[in-house]
Order: sequence, then structure tokens, then C-alpha cells
Amino acid sequence: MTGRRLPVQPGELIDRSSPVSFTWDRKRLAGFAGDTIASALVANGVSVVSRSMKYHRPRGYLTADYWDPNGFVQVGDEPNVRSGHRLVEGGMVIEPQNAWPSLDHDVKAANGLVGRFLSAGFYYKTFIRPRRLWPAYEKVLTTFAPGGRVDPDTPHGYHDKRYAHPDVVVAGGGPAGMAAAVGAAEAGADVMLVEHDHGVGGHLRWGGDRERALAAELRTAVAAAGVEVLTDSTVTGRYEDNWIAVVQRSHPVAVERLVKARAKVLIVAPGLIERPYVFAGNDKPGVMLSGAVRRLINLYAVKPGERAVVLTANADGDAAARDLERAGVEVARIVDAREGGTVVAAHGSARSVSTVELGDGSRVAADLLVTAVGWTAPTSLLNMAGDRPVYDETTARFFPAADVDTVLTTGGLAGDGSLDQLVEHGRATGRLAAERAAVVGHRLRTATARARPLEGPEPAWPVDEREPLPRDPHPALFRSSSHGIVDFSEDVSSKDLVAAAEEGYDSVELLKRYTTATMGPAQGKLETVNTVAVLAEARRQTIGEVGTTVWRPPYAPVTLGALGGRVFEPVRVSSIQPWHEANGAVPIVAGAWIRPEHYGHPEAEVRNTRERVGITDVTPLGKLDLQGPDVARLLNHLYTNTWTKLAVGSVRYGIMCADDGVVLDDGVTGRLADEHYLMTTTSSGAATVWEWVENWLQTEHPDWQVHVTPVTTGYTSINVAGPRSRELVARLVADVDLDPAAFPYMRVRTGTVASVPNCVMWRIGFTGELSFELHVPSGHGLHVWQSLLDAGADLGVRPFGLEAQRIMRLEKGHFVVGQDTDGLTKAPTTGLTALIKLDKEDFVGKPELAWAVDGDGSHLVALQPTDPSELPAEAAQIVRTGTNEIIGRITSSRMSPTLGRSICLGQVAPEASTPGAVVTVVMLDGRRITARVMEHHAHFDPEGERLRG
Amino acid sequence: MADRPAFESPVVGDYPVADGDLALTDASSVTKLLVRAAEGTAAARGLEVGFGRSRPAGDALVCGQRPGEWMVLGSSRAAEAVIDGLDRTGHVSVVDHTHARAMFRLTGERTTAVLEKVCSLDWADEMTPDGAVVSASVAKVVCDIVRHDVVRRDGGRTPSYLIACDRSFGQYLFDAIVDAGHEHALAVAPPSLDF
Amino acid sequence: MLLVPCPYCGPRNAADLRYVGEARRRPDPNGVEPAEWRDYLYLEDNPAGWLRETWYCRAGCRRYFTLERNTATNEFRSPPLPGSKLGGTA
Repeated sequence: MTGRRLPVQPGELIDRSSPVSFTWDRKRLAGFAGDTIASALVANGVSVVSRSMKYHRPRGYLTADYWDPNGFVQVGDEPNVRSGHRLVEGGMVIEPQNAWPSLDHDVKAANGLVGRFLSAGFYYKTFIRPRRLWPAYEKVLTTFAPGGRVDPDTPHGYHDKRYAHPDVVVAGGGPAGMAAAVGAAEAGADVMLVEHDHGVGGHLRWGGDRERALAAELRTAVAAAGVEVLTDSTVTGRYEDNWIAVVQRSHPVAVERLVKARAKVLIVAPGLIERPYVFAGNDKPGVMLSGAVRRLINLYAVKPGERAVVLTANADGDAAARDLERAGVEVARIVDAREGGTVVAAHGSARSVSTVELGDGSRVAADLLVTAVGWTAPTSLLNMAGDRPVYDETTARFFPAADVDTVLTTGGLAGDGSLDQLVEHGRATGRLAAERAAVVGHRLRTATARARPLEGPEPAWPVDEREPLPRDPHPALFRSSSHGIVDFSEDVSSKDLVAAAEEGYDSVELLKRYTTATMGPAQGKLETVNTVAVLAEARRQTIGEVGTTVWRPPYAPVTLGALGGRVFEPVRVSSIQPWHEANGAVPIVAGAWIRPEHYGHPEAEVRNTRERVGITDVTPLGKLDLQGPDVARLLNHLYTNTWTKLAVGSVRYGIMCADDGVVLDDGVTGRLADEHYLMTTTSSGAATVWEWVENWLQTEHPDWQVHVTPVTTGYTSINVAGPRSRELVARLVADVDLDPAAFPYMRVRTGTVASVPNCVMWRIGFTGELSFELHVPSGHGLHVWQSLLDAGADLGVRPFGLEAQRIMRLEKGHFVVGQDTDGLTKAPTTGLTALIKLDKEDFVGKPELAWAVDGDGSHLVALQPTDPSELPAEAAQIVRTGTNEIIGRITSSRMSPTLGRSICLGQVAPEASTPGAVVTVVMLDGRRITARVMEHHAHFDPEGERLRG
Repeated sequence: MADRPAFESPVVGDYPVADGDLALTDASSVTKLLVRAAEGTAAARGLEVGFGRSRPAGDALVCGQRPGEWMVLGSSRAAEAVIDGLDRTGHVSVVDHTHARAMFRLTGERTTAVLEKVCSLDWADEMTPDGAVVSASVAKVVCDIVRHDVVRRDGGRTPSYLIACDRSFGQYLFDAIVDAGHEHALAVAPPSLDF
Repeated sequence: MLLVPCPYCGPRNAADLRYVGEARRRPDPNGVEPAEWRDYLYLEDNPAGWLRETWYCRAGCRRYFTLERNTATNEFRSPPLPGSKLGGTA
């Protein structure tokens, strides 16, 4: 390898005083700070950097920038790094991708020999049949698939996310974009300028003295105007109402930061992207676009070759030829396309160009072929805003159809002209954007309740009075007389496209999907227009008639890390959580809640509660405070049963159904005072029920006077259960008479617990034991919990967790909404038909329940396996004995420590639901066992004597 | 009976306490009384402030939190004084939310830089001026937020926000804000009842 | 992300709201025929064009309201004034 570093160039970005050392393909190389990986490799004489995706052909740099389709490398554990963009760093370990066993000797290059078999649609046609062989095909294809390695042990970096509300976002920091940012900021707008390269300036940076001076001037103006500049950042998408996604790379505190900006006006100024030319051998190392050589020479002081042929159709190609000469490259021939010159083929070994065949038949020896044949207008962001670009034959490129109200275009997308014209157009666009942003801001503030009030009427909508940019004629050059690569990322040639069109895939959207052209990492930036042009030629139509594909987000590929950002996963805990954690609770995640599943021995927790007294944290239980004269009316509407006669101090159980008759939730509601009630819901249903209640009140019955307030975490809820619970509670409560006659089952009282006033206590019990549910203001929850443990030590008080609760409720046969019921379970199925009062004027679900007196065709029953040691899994199927006909399923099952046997709840068909019936249950291992249908849902104490005690 | 026990904050983590220009303070023990009053009631008129705005009332702060819904913040004495002064004729209700809501105060010139990492609202002065009241998702938790700038000794004002959420989310939200503030040198200041 | 013009809060990100569905009238549950009731439960018109729909401002004011949206363009028609039936001095 020979050194290709040039003497100091006036616009170079490298810092020659900071040499860096890195490895490429296990060889140690040197570069400078400021080099991209690409410029450092070329400076070291590296000409082949990758193998192509399908044919594994050696590839060198084509554009040597962000969009280079050949420059994907592995850097350490990071795959798919764009080496034309990423800056080289000391100690980097850089490896080629898509080459096996090595870049020099790639066995898969044999694909090239059989290339004709890998033509358009090859994968579809060859591997789709027979289906049974697909796993084998897949294995082979995977080893041939491109891409780097992902190390599963790579630590997650800090990927950040933030929101922004700039008046104006400018996408693109070239001359027009910078001028637009300055114009908008000087007109008073708050501006964010986003540039995907490492510095602003665009093509001015690799221009001559005048261009560099203008870049410096604009940079100063941008800074002075207070524009927020995000470099090495990409606007990846424009969504509804100017919701702009910006991925900010090389951020000081984050690996990447996703900025979600709600811009009042978006200015699209990405410039133009140089388009490759299609001819035989156009993907050989040594074929480069004019922009690539100009960047390499002027920004990085790297000589891209020794002897060059330049095909030029424009001023940039002419400038490239001058740059090459100045850099000491022998320019063997300048082929001027404006005068009919063309290139037919690049010949040479697989690894480099050696001869260029021209349109006039002559052959010129060269190791570098530079093409400058025109531009692609990256209209992606405009497409995302609804624009459908139109092809302009004069300039041989697409233009936006029209600027929409809050999305404006400037720079190369808008036209050509002198630098002065571009800058003036940019400034005018910026001013217009600022004026329009001011009107949008006025609208937002006027509509927003919290905003500072505005004086005066809304300003008129500013009219677009910009002087349009001229359009310079440009020859239409897409394909030479030979065939070559159109999509370098996907290895699709013009021959493939023609073949696909002949097969009938002749609409551009179909062609794209069939051949995968434009679907690679360059996302159409280099290949879309050539694809359209080749198709137009095959169809004998114009490019305008063929049209183009729709550019969708993302503008450039986005990492999953950037999309994930910081992950917000809210968790909820009760006030007692610190105690649970300190006392060996095994946590379980239930919705957003973290709760104690048990404290080591759930069965022992059950026995202690049944024999002595246990306490459990039931804070997640949903709680709604209801106040107003119409609460009873509301309850009558929400629950299936009747609430008009609930006395103050009483508690009642009810089931809620949706209007389709399906069970939505259940729970108890108590009447605390004349117009004050407390409703409980299931833990998982708390949020849903609240929104549902509000919906009924706000939309159907706004005349009902009820205030609903969620107080779920206003109270820490503790259930004290067991035969000694009254004794324990009595030690902490002085102002409530706990005598069973004064405070019987299904009653509610308010009072003071362990010196904490305003506690709600009710006597209910899903455990089936005598129990008191204490709702304590949360700021004292831990205190009451600790007081119960301290006061009840001699009574044998112990905490119990969610698992013990579940066992005890199953022993009592209480169903759990969502576990023993599902999205089809109508209320009668639960067996609680006495709670469905069809004589009420109205309640939610009434018509469906009237039509479904027998439920949804199955009955919820308690089941006990004949063999008490057999425990069917939850969701085990129940089948008709002797057949495979499913007639039900087990919905809950546990070993009961109290009964010493397995117990279940299940849903079965009506004919199998009679008490005493024996059903067949299919175990997970396929064995069949029998189980008996019980008379009551409760397996234990069906008369409820314990809980009424 | 013994005295009422001390208030337990939902924020129990151990944080290095430091002074800084940008500070997060646990203010969960501040009294929070939620008033609901139908349109046209004397109470609705007496609260004097509409949805989206707040006003001082003695040492308390009355916040128009939602249409027909106000949160009165302050010491228990100051907040209760506001309630005591209300004519409660008609459909009016009061719920003590002191224990139901965790509340934090975020203060400093760079508060916006922290808030924009956890919340999608526009915190610019025109959109969210001092006194603004708004509900929004903060780190995926629905919060009620009041901009309540702090008057400095020099007479200037430092942006400050009261952020309240369901108490059970308090610890999570506090940690999420601390994490978001890390790059801006956010300091955790001792819990405070100050207004 | 779509901005939804909440008549109380002002324009808010759609993620702050819950889309409830097409605004529909609940039939009188007494004497309703199954076909009419199930039409109310399950059948939406789903037009490409103007549609009256209900939103719930979940993260904001917690009000349910009805807006008209053009489902083809995501344009909102000036929303009705805040419901006079609701409390508040908004």
C-alpha cells in the first residue's frame, strides 16, 4: 500500500498534529484526527473496502460520504458503520463486512460466476418451493446475507430522548439552509438547524476560496443569530403536524439522542445528492463520483488515484478535474458529456480499474474514473409532508410540486443559480418561515388554556413572495449503452431491472419490491432515479410518465437504540414496600405494581391466617371516592344489582358489565355518609373503571351530580384476617365499637387506627376469615402496618402475600375477573344471577343480559379432582368423557393447605355443570383425570360462618 | 391516644443532598385539597381562577387543575383556610389528596432542559408562563404541574415547577427526574414544605 | 404525531388522548331490538372523510369530547365549544 496523503490543503479538516493509529482488517494503519474512516483508508492506499451483497464483488468507495453504498464496516462490536461518515479514532478496530474468509479471498465471489442465476427475483423463484426445504435454504442464505456482527454482550449505552418546540427546523446546513436559519432567526424565530455531516457548510467546504469564505461568513452569522445547531444529526422523518424526528449522533452525554421536535415550520434544504452513472464495470474500485474525489482532496488531503479519466456533465465535474490536476493526479482524459462524450465500460481486474472504454471507441489507461452526470433531489421529507415531486426534463431531476403551508423548500431542491441567489433564496425562505411560525404560534397560544394570553387578532397568513430560483439545463444521463449496477447496496443491475420489467413487473413500485432496488441502506438516495430511468427506457416512456417511488421515513436508517431512547417503565409501590423489601418478600409484578408474592412460605401464610391472624398489603385495590346527591343512581347504572337502599355504614358487593354484557369488573362499595361513598375495584381494573365511570357521567348522564375521584394510592390498604383479627384491631382502634353486633359483616366505619385519623374500615373478607380491611391515609401506611405487627406479636400475627390471598380466595370459591372470566364471559355465567336485576330501568349491559339469561353457554363451577393429589394446570381443557370434544377449561387451580387437596374453579358447558357430575380434565402431559363438580363455589366453609363471626 | 405519627414520604431512596442551581425537592407532605364545584356555584366563583391558571390565596395556592376542579396547595392551615372560606352551596365536594399525591419541586434556570427530557409539552415562557397549571405525561406518568416561580433575594424570579403524581408512582418519578437531570448537574435538596 | 385540538387544553399530542371511537348514540335499552343494539356495540361506519368521533383527554383535562375529523386528511373542523353541561369555568 502506498501513502496517498497530499500536502496541506486550504480547506482540510484533518489535524496533522494529532495522528491516530487504528487497525483495518488486522493491519495497523495511521491517520489524523478529523479523518473519516474512508479518508484514512484511502490515504493508506486501501482500494477495496467491502464485497457486494449478492455477487461478493470487490468494492471501493463510490461517494466516500454518508451515503456510500460500499463503505459499511464493523467497528469493534458495532456493525454497519458508515465509514464515509464516521470519524476515525485512535485504537479503533475496523474490519470489513460481508467478506469470508477474507476481503482478498472471498469464496462467495463464485456467485459472480453464476451471476445469471442470481438475477431479479432469483430468491423468490428458487427458494419458494418446495416449502418443506425452506429451513435448509434459510440456513444457507443466512450465511450469505450481508451485514456485520452483533455482539449480544455489548453493554447498552445511554440513548437519550428529548422533546423540542422550535419555531423553525431547518433540515440541511448547506449555504441555503444556513442562510434560511439566519433569515428565520433574524426575523425573531427560535431555530434549530440540523446537519447530517460533522460540520455545516455543505458543498462550500470542498469548493474554492470564495466558497470557503462564504461558508465562514454564514457560520458566523448562524452563531450570531442564536440558532441551535445540531451537527452529525439527521432529520429522519416528518410526521403529522410537523412532528420532526431528529437523530443526534456524537452527543456529549449520550450514544445517540432522539429529538422529537414539534416545529411550527419545517424548511427542507438537504441539497442535492450526486447520481452514479450506469455502465459496465461501474462498481469496480476506482470508479468514483466527482463529489467523492473533491471531498477526499479538499477536506482530507488524500489523492484518490494516479491517472484519471473524468466524465463531466456539469461544473462540479469540471471542478473535480481541476482539483485532480492540482493534487498531482494525471488527468488522462476529460470526457465532456455536454458535447456528447460518454463512457461505455470500465475494464480491469476485479480489484481495480485499469482501462476506460469511451463512447468513441477509444480506450484510456487509468486507475480512476470520475463521473459527474447529475443529481438526485432527495425530496423524502417533502414526500412525508404529502408532496408528489414532478420530473423536470430541462434539469433532468425531480422538483417539489408545491411548497405546502408549513413546509418550505430551499437550496438545490428548489433550483439552481449562483451562490448569491441560493443564499438570498435561503434568507427569504427563513423570513417567510419565521412569519408563518409566528401565526402558528399565535394560534397555539390562543387555543391553549395555560398559555399567556395574547392581545389582538390573528395576523394574516404570510404570502409566499420569494423570487424562485432559476433552473439550469442539465443533460439527461442515466445509463450508457452498456449495462451496469443501478443499486450498489442491493447488487441490482440495469439488466435485472429490464428483465423484471419484461416479466411484467413494470410499475415502479412493483419493480422496487420485486428486485429490491432502492430498498438497501442508501434508501434510494443514489439509485432511485436511475431505477426509474432504466424502467422508462424499457417501457419506452419518459421518466415523468413512469413516476417515482414514494419516499417514506426514515430518511436514513435509524438504530434501535435511538428509537428506544431512555425506556420509561413506570412502577407503582405501596407505602409498605420498604418493609416488604427489608423482610424477604418475593416480589411479583402485577400491571405496574410491584407487590409481595409471598414471604417464603405461602402455605404457611395461609395456615397462620386460618388459625391465628395475618395481615396483607392490598393497596393496589382500586378505590374511587364518590360524592354527590346522585351516587346511588350512578351505582344502579354501573352495577347489575340494586343500590338504592344501601344504608349509611353498609357495604355491598356488585358486578359491573360492559354494554355487551361481558363482566368488566367487580368489587364492593360502601356508603360512608349520606352523599359520600367509597367504591373498590379490582387492582387491574382501577384505571379502566375510573375512565369508564367518567365516560358515563360526562357523555350519557351529565345531569347526574356525582364527583368521582380516584383515591387508590391515597389509602394504604391492609387486610387483617383470621380468627384473632378482631382482637388485634381492637388493640389499635379506640373510637369504633368492634363488637360483632355493633360492627357486623358487610359494614363500614371510619375511625382512628394506631393514632391515624380518617381511616376507613370495613368488614368484608375474600379470605373467608373474620377480617377487617383498613384503608389508612398513605402517609401513615407503614406506621399502621408496623403497629399491627408490634401489637399482635403475641397473637401470632404474620404477613401474607398475594399467593396466600389467591389460595384462600380459591378455597372460598371467589372468582377473579380476568382469570375465571374472559372477554366472552357474560354475567350469568358466574352463577351470581341473583345480582342481576333486570327490573331496573337501565344499567350497563342490561339488554344483553336480558337476552342471555343463561350466560354465554358455560357455567363457572368449583371442581375437585377425584385424586386429591392431581393438580390440573390453569387453562387445562375439560373434555367430554371418552372424546376430544372440549366442553370447558380449568380457570384457577391450587393445592389447598387447608383441605390438603387440589381445588379448582372452571368453566364448563351447562350439561356438565350439575353438582356431582364427573368431568374429564386433560393434563399438560396428555393424561386424563377426572374431577367432580361441587355444589358450591366455596370449597371451604360454604356457609360463611367464619367470616361472619 | 398518642400524637398523629410523622408523615411518611413516598420518596425513600438515599440521595446525596447538595446545593445547586438546579434542584429537585420532595414536597409530598404539602397539604393538597381537591375541590370540585359545578359551574355556576358560589364556590366556583369564589375560587376565582380558571382552568390552566393558579393564584395565591393567603399562604396557599389555588390551582385551576381541570375544568370544574381546583387543587388548593399549602400548609394544612393555609389550605384549610381557603376551603373554610368557600360557600359550599350546591354540588361542591372536597377530597383531601395530601396522601394520594406525591409532589416535587423542580427549580432552576435550566429546568426546561430537564423537563423536555421527560415531557412533551412546550415549556417556553409564552406557552407555560409563571402561574400556568397543566396536566401531562411525565416519564409516562400522568402528572399535574404548576409553574410557580421562586422569588430570589435579588427580586428576580427563578423558574420553578410543582409536579404531582399518584403517590404510588412517586419513587419512580423522582428517580426518572433525577436521571434526566444528571447531565445538567441536578441536585437533590432536602424535603421542604416551603412555598 | 397528530395534534388533537382538545377544546379545554388546546392542541395536544394524540398520545395524550385516548381515541374512544365514532361518536354514537346509545339506544334506549328498554325495548331495543338485538340488531339495533349490536349495531351500536360493534358496527362502525368508518368513512373516508368527515367523521364525528369521541376522544378522551387522558393525560390532560380528563374530559370526553366530540370532534369532527376528516379521516382522509386528519383535518379537524373547529371543535364545538366546551360542553355547557360540564362544570368549570374554563
